[in-house]
Amino acid sequence: MTGTVPAVLAGVGYAWGVRVLHSRGDRWPWHRTAAAWLAVLGLAAATSPPLATDGGPFALHAAQHLVLASAVPIALVVANPVLLALRTLPLRQRRLLLAVAHSRAARIALSPPVAVTLAVGGTWLYYLTGFYDVAESHPLLHLAVHAHMLLAGCLLTWCVVAPAPLPARTVPVRLLVLVVAAGSHDLLAKLMYAHGLPVGAGTADQLRAGAQLLYYGGDVAELLTAVLVLSGWYAREGRRLAHASRA
Amino acid sequence: MSAPSQSQQATLPGRSLGAGALMGVGVAGFLDETVFHQLLHWHHFYDKSTAAAGLVSDGYFHAGSWVAMVAGLFLYADLQRRAGADRRRVWAGGLVGWGGFQLYDGLVQHKLLGLHQIRYHVHLLPYDVAWDLAGGIALVAGLLLLRERVTRRP
Repeated sequence: MTGTVPAVLAGVGYAWGVRVLHSRGDRWPWHRTAAAWLAVLGLAAATSPPLATDGGPFALHAAQHLVLASAVPIALVVANPVLLALRTLPLRQRRLLLAVAHSRAARIALSPPVAVTLAVGGTWLYYLTGFYDVAESHPLLHLAVHAHMLLAGCLLTWCVVAPAPLPARTVPVRLLVLVVAAGSHDLLAKLMYAHGLPVGAGTADQLRAGAQLLYYGGDVAELLTAVLVLSGWYAREGRRLAHASRA
Repeated sequence: MSAPSQSQQATLPGRSLGAGALMGVGVAGFLDETVFHQLLHWHHFYDKSTAAAGLVSDGYFHAGSWVAMVAGLFLYADLQRRAGADRRRVWAGGLVGWGGFQLYDGLVQHKLLGLHQIRYHVHLLPYDVAWDLAGGIALVAGLLLLRERVTRRP
């Protein structure tokens, strides 16, 4: 339940922003709003039963992990709340937000090595060492792990999809980052399957079912992210072509 | 939407080849995953004989083939929009990409790195030969298609 209240509050804030835009006659594509509500739903579902049941089968935990670290970040990158805030906030707050978005710290956090290490490295540490067991028995640590999954998932997704106002890095580099991250994810799932990890999280069959869910769920997330990167490129090229044919 | 008439002749050979190769790799990965893993259940998700290097190679190639598929399709859609698709080169790229990936999978991943086999509880040799031969033929056909194009040019 921990995520439901903040998620709904954020959703209400988003809806208010869209209303402000519409009331002054600006357009805001409906698919962004739909994605925002999917993110709210995902965050609420991932922190409520049955996904957030202590001691449930490992596949449920894997599903929760997929929603928090992959599905919600992908929905959020489409919803692009940062762009909405930049269009609706008063000038002072807007300047502050832009300063943060263009700060050195943000640039470093969103650089491929850091984003991949935080997202993939965190997951590896969590599942392949004894860390999973420790986190399961400390509620605060458990919450921190979930927050890390969500935030690191967002960093990685933002790094690869690079939505406005981030500068569009070259597409091949971003696709390479995606392959490295997704390949490491596949590898992790196979290692978990092969060695029955994390130890103590369930029976061998439960662990294998969870690892397979992570593997194929990761594939879906990778496909969606690739489509986002390339549809963005396709639209940009289309605008360039239209511009060139007018000139 | 309509392409300007002066670009009607100018195909984009490099991009056509690239789009074809990406789609070829993507199709190989897709066939491997859907047909042999999911439909036929010949391949195993993991078998105990797989070495670590095999898992590493499989993980990144599996992830790469999905991205290659999506990138190839979008690149091809962009070529069509520009009326710049060189169909022969798209096919050549596709055959080289598919054949190359199939050969890599058959020779390096399945044999050298000891990844899961093509099929279990059967005499493997005919399967291995058919797998690698299919890849080899596609690769050579793609290269021939490419060469013909080059020699035809004055």
